Amino acid sequence: MLAVEQANAKGVPGGYSFVAYDLDDAVQGAHDPAQGAQNVKQFVSDDAVLAMVGPFNSSVAQAQIPITNDAGLVQISPATTNPGLTKGDEAAKLRTSHPDVNSFFRVCTTDDKQGAAGASFARKLGLKKAFIVDDNETYGKGLADVFEQQFAAAGGTVLGHEHLTKGQTDYKALLTKAHALGPDLVFYGGTTVTGGALLRKQMADTGLGQVAFIGGDGISDTEFLTSAGQSADGVYYTVAAPETSKLPTATAFVAAYEKRWKSPVGPYSANAYAATNIEIAAIEKAMAEKGGALPTRADVLANVAATKGFASPIGTIGFDKNGDTTAPILSVYKISGGKPVFVEQIVLKV
Amino acid sequence: MDVFLQQVVNGLSLGGIYALIALGYTMVYGIIELINFAHGDVYTFGTFTSLAILTGLGVSGEVHGPWLVAVVAITLVAAMLTCGALGVLIELLAYRRLRNAPRLAPLITAIGVSFILENVMQLWHGPSPIPFPQVVPNPSVTLGLVSVSAKQVLVIALALVMMIALQLFIYNTKIGKAMRATAQDRDAAQLMGINVNTTILVTFLVGSALAGVAGFVSGVYYGTTWFFNGFEAGLKAFTAAVLGGIGNILGAMLGGFLIGLIEAMATQYVPQGAQWSNVVVFSVLVLVLIFRPSGLLGESLPEKV
Repeated sequence: MLAVEQANAKGVPGGYSFVAYDLDDAVQGAHDPAQGAQNVKQFVSDDAVLAMVGPFNSSVAQAQIPITNDAGLVQISPATTNPGLTKGDEAAKLRTSHPDVNSFFRVCTTDDKQGAAGASFARKLGLKKAFIVDDNETYGKGLADVFEQQFAAAGGTVLGHEHLTKGQTDYKALLTKAHALGPDLVFYGGTTVTGGALLRKQMADTGLGQVAFIGGDGISDTEFLTSAGQSADGVYYTVAAPETSKLPTATAFVAAYEKRWKSPVGPYSANAYAATNIEIAAIEKAMAEKGGALPTRADVLANVAATKGFASPIGTIGFDKNGDTTAPILSVYKISGGKPVFVEQIVLKV
Repeated sequence: MDVFLQQVVNGLSLGGIYALIALGYTMVYGIIELINFAHGDVYTFGTFTSLAILTGLGVSGEVHGPWLVAVVAITLVAAMLTCGALGVLIELLAYRRLRNAPRLAPLITAIGVSFILENVMQLWHGPSPIPFPQVVPNPSVTLGLVSVSAKQVLVIALALVMMIALQLFIYNTKIGKAMRATAQDRDAAQLMGINVNTTILVTFLVGSALAGVAGFVSGVYYGTTWFFNGFEAGLKAFTAAVLGGIGNILGAMLGGFLIGLIEAMATQYVPQGAQWSNVVVFSVLVLVLIFRPSGLLGESLPEKV
């Protein structure tokens, strides 16, 4: 919205202007893939829509990608982190009508990158011997597998890698096994509900209370803090997004945002702003190529795909062939006194 | 060796909770041959009730001295009474009318009751895990090679005490005798002047009260719970009852401890054990049932016509 206003204020050649066209995919307060798909159909049927920003959730993206792929409408998501949306067979299956064309891009990084960030951070802390636990789900296992690989590559030793069973609540046997191996770090790939909080809590009962614990953003919720209680203190976790307030490139955006909306920036505000600006730039470039005439969706898509070195509040963005950002920035938080405290940003090289 | 012994302790304390739940399954099955699928949820209800009572008492952290004994006793008794009442209510509303219906009808009703309880608890505390106050101080004692925590002792001791009490109740009281008679032959028992309906109600009362004990203990032991907790635990406890010989009190106890031990050992000694522990547990169950179809301590029941 802010990006659109700024672009119009600067003036668009040819007497055109940008219009923000908002549709919400939430039904009764929760995101709903069916509603998301419905919204995209509405965009597609409106010839004036050249590009869209969204969605917020990976499950909604799964429902939308086949539709935008069919229509050749470019979409840039600010916040979906499921790797399968852009990579591998899963992504190929979503591109139903035009398997060779990708219409889905994102300015956020993906979950599997969190494993890499966790590994690099663990080595930075000087941790050497890791015991890895994941919840055997797509998100958690993906995270843990990448961590295992990267931690070993960075000179760490992986003592074991175990998968939890759904519904299990007693991890004492597993942690006793881990304790016997003498780790200085337990890495957890998964969410709070699939075992994160209980695992951390039971570490104290099995002699692992002083051992470091690193997880992904699956444990970055208030449930983790309440369920793990005091044992949550000292836990590190990564989030697949930059902490906007700490980014030097974002100061201008943060100031403009707060002035316009009179409220602090949300976790993905800068991402959405960057995504919109990329699309605006692509549309303007496509117009310039056509001598000021209105571009087609295909022109816009081609220009978005060619984005490279685009300066945005969340760093210099470019897209790889899958539609993923080439400059992933992640942040690390530490739980201290029952509250998450920002530790540092990790910029991964791709 | 020290790891092995430590896993024995882990397995026994996990098994203690299974055993307490398994007692309720086995009692109800023994008397009306119904697999009471709602039993696991009655157990979760026990944790929820304990939580409510502790909140009511204003307890949110560790307590010490005589107050600790009082808090534990009040919560335990209240959880037992509430769960017992819930069990009675379930029997009266859901199962009694179906007493002479085909066996599938009460079974499906049991699954329905389970859904109702799960949803009620989800409405009560939401779908997320909820913390349970750490009431009992948890010093651990190192005995030679293993460390045993106070909570582990509490779990195992409570399970054993409850089993012995139940055994005495069934074999040394008049109502216990009525329960055994009803289990053997309901019609004959009725002809002998036993009030079958009351006897079945008492069975539900006692079995569900034991689930209440398990619910309280699991809250204290794990320090957390959620509305769906009873599903997995109920399934394991049911397995324990079958393993030990369904309908048999000692068998349920033995099955519970065995399953806890097998889980702990499988986690330790099978590569990638945490994800294979359930496979090992159920493989053992299958093997036992092949060679002893009525379970480890089960007696072959006469075929009912």
